[in-house]
Amino acid sequence: MNGVHDLGGMHGLGPIAPPAQEPVFAHEWERRAFAMFVPLFGAGCFNVDEFRHAIERMTPTHYLEGSYYEHWLHAFETLLVEKGYMGPNELDDYIAKFKEKM
Amino acid sequence: MPLVTKDLVPVIVKTGASARIAEDVAPSFNVGDKVRAKNINPLTHTRLPRYVRGKVGTVVLDHGVFVTPDTVAHGQGEHPQHVYNVAFGGDELWGGGASSKDKVYIDLWDDYLEKVEA
Amino acid sequence: MSHDHDHTAPPADIELRVKALESLLTEKGLIDPSALDELVDTYENRIGPRNGALVVAKAWADPEYKKRLLEDGTAAIAELGYSGVQGEDMVVVENTPTIHNMTVCTLCSCYPWPTLGLPPVWYKSAPYRSKVVIDPRGVLAEFGVSVPDSKEVRVWDSSAELRYLVLPERPAGTEGWSEEKLADLVTRDSMIGTGFPKSPSEIQ
Repeated sequence: MNGVHDLGGMHGLGPIAPPAQEPVFAHEWERRAFAMFVPLFGAGCFNVDEFRHAIERMTPTHYLEGSYYEHWLHAFETLLVEKGYMGPNELDDYIAKFKEKM
Repeated sequence: MPLVTKDLVPVIVKTGASARIAEDVAPSFNVGDKVRAKNINPLTHTRLPRYVRGKVGTVVLDHGVFVTPDTVAHGQGEHPQHVYNVAFGGDELWGGGASSKDKVYIDLWDDYLEKVEA
Repeated sequence: MSHDHDHTAPPADIELRVKALESLLTEKGLIDPSALDELVDTYENRIGPRNGALVVAKAWADPEYKKRLLEDGTAAIAELGYSGVQGEDMVVVENTPTIHNMTVCTLCSCYPWPTLGLPPVWYKSAPYRSKVVIDPRGVLAEFGVSVPDSKEVRVWDSSAELRYLVLPERPAGTEGWSEEKLADLVTRDSMIGTGFPKSPSEIQ
């Protein structure tokens, strides 16, 4: 698809600004989001091409503004719902209950 | 499919999951061939970026046979085919103002290419 | 679900969402949190650009190894024990006095994990991915380096399933150095092509 992910040759997307040093993960949630890929792939929930395509289907503004592991989170949620591993509202309902317990 | 346990992690990390596939498929192109990347605009998944579509390049490597993301992403099978590295000149990709000396080398599936007669 | 997440300061709802997803998937029996711990430790602490630096240093020190590395990158890298996820099929491209190589994935962020670890944020982000194919020399300038006009710049867009590692040129004045010491010169960026190895004076 001619998606926003297909970036080669675009202008005006800002400076690269590489920092001298950066941590492997900037936040604890990034560690956990990163580490979910291999187990979900291994459990047969999706393949890598389905995963990439789920990211490509993000709304363009979310894709450009969201950080890398937000893309991953979006793909997990999209594919787990599409493939029937969880219901469309299951995570939101679970979060609501989660908040009550906190 | 198995639950990935802690014990399995080192094995999986070290082994990975190659998209290369042991299928005997004839290549449509040879190293040195001039090829044009097809101008296709599928609504579905593809790894043919827009910036090379319609452009002419030269096959520099034949990487062998791989599964095809365009079908695997949509549950339509592995469709094994050759993947080639194709070199495109900067001037071909970006027009006369760009340097022909600088090049982009990109890996493309057999289905993405058509032969350009010399 | 809100989609207006901030780039640099993820709001509490993302943290909560990831935590809840992990908990829900654990209850469903799809993931095991101790496996996640192991994956985090592997890629945060054990696999990184030092692996690639040792590959480069060996290629500089051992002409036979370099030949194998350029002919079959996957097998030669595996000789040093590096293989697997996102490095299943490797190609090594050599910088020479007339050629400078750079790597990118314009479509996502493919990167050779076994040799370089996880990619830095800039490698995965829109500015680098969009610019490097159309203006590689402008990208080099953003990294504070340049290559002479007489050199050809080759940008390898690794958007298929091959992963690329740049073999930088060995710095002068390093004759007789051990592989360990040579590896100290090899920066991550020199193996991406957005930089060069350190000079001997920088580490002595």
